[in-house]
Amino acid sequence: MKEKSPSILILGGGVAGMAAARSLKNQDLSVHLVEKDDHLGGKAALWACMATDTCKNCGACLSQEMARQMIDQNNLTTHLKTKIDTLKKTSKGIEALLTSGTTITADKVIMATGFDAFNPAQLTSLHWKDHKNIITTAQLNTLIREEGLNNLLENAQSPKIAFIQCVGSRNKKLKKDYCSQVCCKISMRQAQKLVHNIPDAQITLFYMDLQIIGKEIRQTLNLLSKQINLVQGIPAEILEDPDTHTLTLVTEDITTQSRSAGQFDLVVLSVGMESARDMNETTTLLEAVPNDWGFFNTKDAIVSKDLYIAGCAAGPKDILTSNQEGKIAGAKILEDLDLAEKPDINVAILGDGPQADIVTQAVAAKGYPVYIFSTTPAAKAFDMKPAQDNPPLSNIKLTRSKLTGSKLNRSKLPRSTLTGAKILAVDGTAGNFSIHYESRGKKENLTCGAVIAALEPCSTPNTGKGEFQTAMDLNTFSQISPGDLPEKSLILLDYFGPEFKSSARQALTVALAARKAKKEITILMNKMLVHGALGQRHYDQARTADILFLRFNTPEDIKIQPQARGFHITLKEATLPNFELALECDCLVLPQSINARGKFETIAKILRLPLDQEGFLQSANVRHRLIQSHRKGIFFTGTCHDEIDNHDLKTEIQEILSALATLDSPHQETKVTIDEKKCAKCLTCYRICPHSAIILNEKMRPQIMANACFSCQLCLSNCPAYAIESQGFTNDQIADQVTDQVVIFACERSCALAAENIVLPEKTQLITLPCACRISCDMILKSLINGASKIIISGCHEGNCRSMEGSTTARSTINAIAKMPGIKADIIRWEPVAANETHKFWRIISKA
Amino acid sequence: MDNAKIDTKSNLSRLLNQLSLGDNISECLTCGACNSRCTWFDGEGGPIPRQMVRMAALGLDDKLVESGMLWDCLICNRCTQGCPMGITMDIIVRRGRSLGIAAGQIPTDIEKGIKSRLETGDVNGLTKEEFVETVEWVSEEFVDEVNDPKAAIPHDKKGSKFLYLPNPRELGINLLHLTAMGKLFYAMEETWTMSSFHTDVTNWGYFVGRDEIARKIASMVVEPAENLGIQTLVLSECGHGYHVLKFLLPELIGRKPKFDVKSIPELTLEYAKKGVLKFDPSIHPYKIAYHDPCNIARKSGCYDAPRQLLDLCCQETVELNPNREDGICCGGGGGILQDSTSTKKRKITGKPKADQMKACGLKHLATACLSCHRQLGELSNHFKLGMKVDTVASLASESLIL
Repeated sequence: MKEKSPSILILGGGVAGMAAARSLKNQDLSVHLVEKDDHLGGKAALWACMATDTCKNCGACLSQEMARQMIDQNNLTTHLKTKIDTLKKTSKGIEALLTSGTTITADKVIMATGFDAFNPAQLTSLHWKDHKNIITTAQLNTLIREEGLNNLLENAQSPKIAFIQCVGSRNKKLKKDYCSQVCCKISMRQAQKLVHNIPDAQITLFYMDLQIIGKEIRQTLNLLSKQINLVQGIPAEILEDPDTHTLTLVTEDITTQSRSAGQFDLVVLSVGMESARDMNETTTLLEAVPNDWGFFNTKDAIVSKDLYIAGCAAGPKDILTSNQEGKIAGAKILEDLDLAEKPDINVAILGDGPQADIVTQAVAAKGYPVYIFSTTPAAKAFDMKPAQDNPPLSNIKLTRSKLTGSKLNRSKLPRSTLTGAKILAVDGTAGNFSIHYESRGKKENLTCGAVIAALEPCSTPNTGKGEFQTAMDLNTFSQISPGDLPEKSLILLDYFGPEFKSSARQALTVALAARKAKKEITILMNKMLVHGALGQRHYDQARTADILFLRFNTPEDIKIQPQARGFHITLKEATLPNFELALECDCLVLPQSINARGKFETIAKILRLPLDQEGFLQSANVRHRLIQSHRKGIFFTGTCHDEIDNHDLKTEIQEILSALATLDSPHQETKVTIDEKKCAKCLTCYRICPHSAIILNEKMRPQIMANACFSCQLCLSNCPAYAIESQGFTNDQIADQVTDQVVIFACERSCALAAENIVLPEKTQLITLPCACRISCDMILKSLINGASKIIISGCHEGNCRSMEGSTTARSTINAIAKMPGIKADIIRWEPVAANETHKFWRIISKA
Repeated sequence: MDNAKIDTKSNLSRLLNQLSLGDNISECLTCGACNSRCTWFDGEGGPIPRQMVRMAALGLDDKLVESGMLWDCLICNRCTQGCPMGITMDIIVRRGRSLGIAAGQIPTDIEKGIKSRLETGDVNGLTKEEFVETVEWVSEEFVDEVNDPKAAIPHDKKGSKFLYLPNPRELGINLLHLTAMGKLFYAMEETWTMSSFHTDVTNWGYFVGRDEIARKIASMVVEPAENLGIQTLVLSECGHGYHVLKFLLPELIGRKPKFDVKSIPELTLEYAKKGVLKFDPSIHPYKIAYHDPCNIARKSGCYDAPRQLLDLCCQETVELNPNREDGICCGGGGGILQDSTSTKKRKITGKPKADQMKACGLKHLATACLSCHRQLGELSNHFKLGMKVDTVASLASESLIL
């Protein structure tokens, strides 16, 4: 008799829970997703779209799409409006009685129960309960989503709005001495959204240390600092003017050396995250013990056997990271149940720094043959060498032989022919890439299943020039034994721009070590980054260890004079604006500046993938982050693509490994075919495919590779010979559905999801497309001929399209059509609507 | 621009690092929460709490003293209430005041008060003989008042259950208050006494942040009290006196005293709850607002007793907004009321309180501290609020059914 397939119980249908469920698809498992609410998606599903003109990369809309995908997952049973009644461990597994009466005996349990927002009523002086215009970021979110903010503000043209950060975070008194990781990003995005919606709004954001971490947030800050007031120092009290009832915040007034009262129409409390309040009992039943904060993100938390914790139940984090943790939890379960697969592929790793070493070790340890292409800075070429030759990786041979036996025989590695190689192109698709490279004048070819870019950005020392001639690099400083360090050192952060989190953490770590050796350490900074579970505790430790922290507003506030020995510094300290401080130190320490500076242009072109705005690999697009690209099988990790510390790197590697394991899992039918008889081999499709999913086959004909295709159908709408077809979905077939109505062509991942639970008004018709870029001139004109009274094309916000340029392409097609003779003004238009913008969609169709 | 040198081994830094409560100044996150909580609110001058903490943390003793903020601060600890790290402003400021370089800033009245307290036992310089004379005279009046020849305001009676520690004003310009308190004791039917060795609930050593002075003054209370063998030291309504004697005393004298410490409203409430004291609330047929003295409420945690007592002897107690932990200082705290040169300044520091009093729309206000009582009364006059200000215990005494 066939054994019963293992049962997996997932508690919580938010982003992490859904991601975990999805990572278990196509497996002989019985997966149960238990959700207390009446919808999947958790808190992210209630989050508003933060897009302005373009996507702001929050990732909230992804939860809607994930929820949709759950419906189609065969091995999954979703239990909505259900809670756990009792849980007990039996010999058969963990027996869970659900409130619905169902009993599930699970082999493994994933706890993805999420978080609760801090309840600001605890801080009575904020008067959150007493005044309708004091709201939390969560409430503001609802107002934005439901488009109700103008009502609250009584349609004020120029409302004054304040954001107060760290409400319920970084607070020892409340036993919440942790940073909630997301609130700065949330407030900054919301502020940006408000500026977009109410251009004359006067916004002030009061912060403690603005956590500028991550590629999209550095960009946001650049824009935002010109649009709103950013003020260091957070009011702990909101007063109400007894006569006018306006809200008053008292802050320090540097110019008059007193306090000044600012009047606001709306105060937004940026509330932190705390562990889900109703989860205590469940954790107890599962014999798990969270840490003092109620989370599982520190070593003192105990996770019991067969229990996996993902998402915000583990600790505060954003949507993309929750998604990542869900995937990793699923992958771990497959591994622990011996269900994990290891496809027979080679893996190419680009990069030879310490990060690439760590990645190589991890990938090789899984038994994949690894090939490293390392950069040679002078020629900017990519040097290929077999993994075993890399000295820091001496343990690879061992792990390999253990895991994969003779298959990875050293002699099989093409070591003699592959030195000094320069990558020319990366062709093919996931599972079957061809890396063309040139080695000693000879063109060579390596076949591999996946490519991992683990390059490192430029680290430019700031020492050795100008007044910093005799300053010391932080890396050098870190390598000196603490006892041998100079007596008085000053570490200067943020002087050359916001520090990357790795530098900030390095500074704290080395300062603590130096302090232990009784050295005097001062850290001069613009802000302290307290990322990660223990970020705040590290900072607290450092302050109690008498490391001196000084703050500056702008680099102009610091004057540095090198002395015969050491440095003399005069400083206008941010918290003491009335006089200058004179500092002396034996040693001035500066971290290196991390930037991309054109370093990745070549490799990005070779990989046919875009860079982000700062020149780092990988666009900020949330559809593929954190580690994937829109070219399946190509992954990014480490500092070449984002601000990554060692902890993040480990997590990224775990996600990459889980993605490698499912690289050749069954693919969805793309339903798009090329009719060879019609194809003129013009190669338009080959050229424009955003996913590089069209290859030239042996007959030199374009061929769509199902394993790489995302079915955006851009090829179809652009084929000049109409040779590319989609089953039952030709231009004619689409246009034939059109009747005498307002027609909305909706992207299935955004607008169509937003419209899902809406009863359309009369004379309105919605036609779902795989991507907004599916529209074509031919299709639109035919629709107009068939009587469409108005055509609205709606897709993702720009920057959010899974096929990268789909929305931009659709918009330019629309512009071209609108300019055609005989096309009435306003008969056709573009409206971006994200999956979580149901209210906006409703507004658009009701006005149409 | 001025130049200052960081010195983490400065006198102030060292003083603060000796303390268990105040050694957390280095923990300041520079979050600025304190700035928004200062009762000086929107106004010129005055202390900027974060600057004070930062100057203390960086050992900028001279700058801190020069800033003049130390004696502008009302040490109401309202900022401390909002501090996520629990940094106690009260300690920082008092230690700052105690620095040698700050000596020149001590208000003359306070300096004089301390001197006469140490010399005569009373801030106003009331001698032992004058004390005895005053109390005996009040006692005679008291017999007539309660119409009982056995009634008295006793002094120096060994073995009494209670020792009453008056406010100096009760022995000077406000003798009626003493009579009123006597009535409460009389109705409790317990033995009680006053002491000619120490006539005063105040401890101005607290204001100047000098532990040795505060200790000396406290000992002037503790020793005679223990010699009299009393069970409970009953404090007149005094904010800082309450905070020092009820809250700081063990730390100050290095041991637990051999008696309990209660304020007169607390004791009165206790006897009301026992059913010994009865009140007629119709004597005060009006709603009354209650002002939390910072030293009694926020700094010592006594919020409910005065309110409960008010409920018994008035029609209804009404809250000012904000109140309790967030209550606003009367504007006379930290020694400013005791400094006769600060009368004008007290109208500025008291403005937020006056606004709050006005906003409540009532004609009656009670408090449990005679310093607050005086300041609130002056605010009512100055801002023409028409509010009658009473202390809780005197209202209780008025309502008392004998």
